[in-house]
Amino acid sequence: MHKQGRTGIWFLIFSVLTAVLFLANLWYGSVLISWKDVLAVLVGQSGEDSVYEVIILNYRLPQAITALAVGIALSVAGLVLQTVFRNPLAGPSVLGISSGASLGVAIVVSAGSLAGLELLNQSYLVFDIPLVLAAVTGSLLVLLIIIFVAQRISNVVTILIIGIMIGYTVSAVVGVIQFFSREEELHAYILWGLGSFSKTNNAQAIFLLVISVLLTIVVLSYSKGLNALLLGTAYARSSGINVKVTQNMLLVVAGLLVALGTVFTGPVAFVGLAVPHLARNFFKTSAHGLLIPAVIVMGASLTLACNLAAKLPGYDTSLPINAVTSLIGAPVVIWVIVKRGKVKKT
Amino acid sequence: MNPLLKIKGLKTGFRYKKGRSVSLHRDLNFDLFKGQFITVLGPNGAGKSTLLKTLLGYQKALGGEVFYGNTPLESIPVKELAKRTAVVLTDKLDESFLTVYDIVATGRYPYTGITGRLTEQDDEVIREAVAMVEMTDFITRYFHHLSDGEKQKVMIARAVAQKTPLIILDEPVAYVDAPSKIEIMELLLTLSHEHGIGILMATHDLEAAVRFSDRLWLLGSRGEIAEGSPQELLENGVINRFFDKNNIILNREKIIFEKKLKI
Repeated sequence: MHKQGRTGIWFLIFSVLTAVLFLANLWYGSVLISWKDVLAVLVGQSGEDSVYEVIILNYRLPQAITALAVGIALSVAGLVLQTVFRNPLAGPSVLGISSGASLGVAIVVSAGSLAGLELLNQSYLVFDIPLVLAAVTGSLLVLLIIIFVAQRISNVVTILIIGIMIGYTVSAVVGVIQFFSREEELHAYILWGLGSFSKTNNAQAIFLLVISVLLTIVVLSYSKGLNALLLGTAYARSSGINVKVTQNMLLVVAGLLVALGTVFTGPVAFVGLAVPHLARNFFKTSAHGLLIPAVIVMGASLTLACNLAAKLPGYDTSLPINAVTSLIGAPVVIWVIVKRGKVKKT
Repeated sequence: MNPLLKIKGLKTGFRYKKGRSVSLHRDLNFDLFKGQFITVLGPNGAGKSTLLKTLLGYQKALGGEVFYGNTPLESIPVKELAKRTAVVLTDKLDESFLTVYDIVATGRYPYTGITGRLTEQDDEVIREAVAMVEMTDFITRYFHHLSDGEKQKVMIARAVAQKTPLIILDEPVAYVDAPSKIEIMELLLTLSHEHGIGILMATHDLEAAVRFSDRLWLLGSRGEIAEGSPQELLENGVINRFFDKNNIILNREKIIFEKKLKI
């Protein structure tokens, strides 16, 4: 209704930024390819230089799509978790949901290794369905525990601490599984844990993007319930919202988004926690009808930017994406806490 | 004329595990009619909030029945109940970038589709409600930048925007300064007497209750119940019984509490 001009401008800026960063991800890498050649490949007129076509279409394109999808999935999930738990510091990794997904992956990988399969290696594509299912099961299981706790304890800090403890416990179990794994699996799992957007092929990347967008549409359809929940459960109920059903539905969707955003790339820290705060502060709104689109464009540009930053000039390989997002995300969290402290004082 | 809200043989209290329960008040029989301003009055901890929560279905009654019109409370779905009664609670809102408009708009949610898209008519209702509480100049302000009194007026606007025949308020003036208190009480009076909305307010503020409400429902801390107009309950000394402490008594003429004079 109001302040729409400002919201519109920021939305335009970040949409353009997302598009530019997406193209930059196709252009920039260890092999130098000129803008003209990138465009030529994209419009299908690359001609003789088919090496560029392979590099761009088979390596950089799925990577860029994956970064885009994971950015959307984790940011939307983070926003949902923060609103439903009424906790500014809630997020996929803080509540142990990412760890749950990791546990699922670890169990399936080591079970596969006992059966003589190498799930995290080249044969990945064939076996991604059990991995996805395991990650989904793991993250939903942790969410279930958190919901169970949240229904009995209303203190948000207590729930957070319990979430962090669940994360530690799950990581410990993963550690035990790793101890009994063969060296190759261990290596593969550790690499997975560092996070990378480059482990997907085009089919997986598009699958990831389509499901993330579909789940985001589900979240968007709940923006009324999310807004009402900002006033607390009693007020939400007085607005005619069926609070329990809405909360549970949203948490399941958030769990699915986290699992998807984790299974193909490894855990990507801080995106889910930081992006909703960045979006609120740029767009100056908490109304979810505006905030969800804002979170989408900001999350997508952040992960695309991180993926660019991870490609060090002069090196063939990329930095672990988990490290890059942590370097950017952790200061954001500190900034949020400091800022809230200031607001309380004045 | 049918009452908006009918309470029949209601027993309020808490139910614990293993079938144990603690009752606060039993055999409550009250009616609230269109355009009435009724105050649930009692000392702190008497069970006023428990009664309101029971009436709203947030908490189960230990016995008896609550009717909205002719419909028993337990057969009214959440969304339908939101069209029959709006609320103003003591719950504090979390910090957010919600504007006054955004908050009042949630009052329209019982009437919107699943996405919560507001029609032009909704927009009009929201602006009218904000104008009624004289907050139009603040409509694009962030809720968290307002004073406690202004916040409370916004929550009342939200209830008004819900267009319900009844508004239930829990301690609406507990945290606001004296001028805002009078302003809010006058506002509630206008809503009931001029707009025909039933008002049910819980408070421990005796002076405000006696001065503004049509009838009082008295709830004592030891399960006592009384009902009547402020005038009669003052004159027959019933209010004194509910509020007097050892050495502090109510001065019925001035409606203030004083230390008892030793005779």
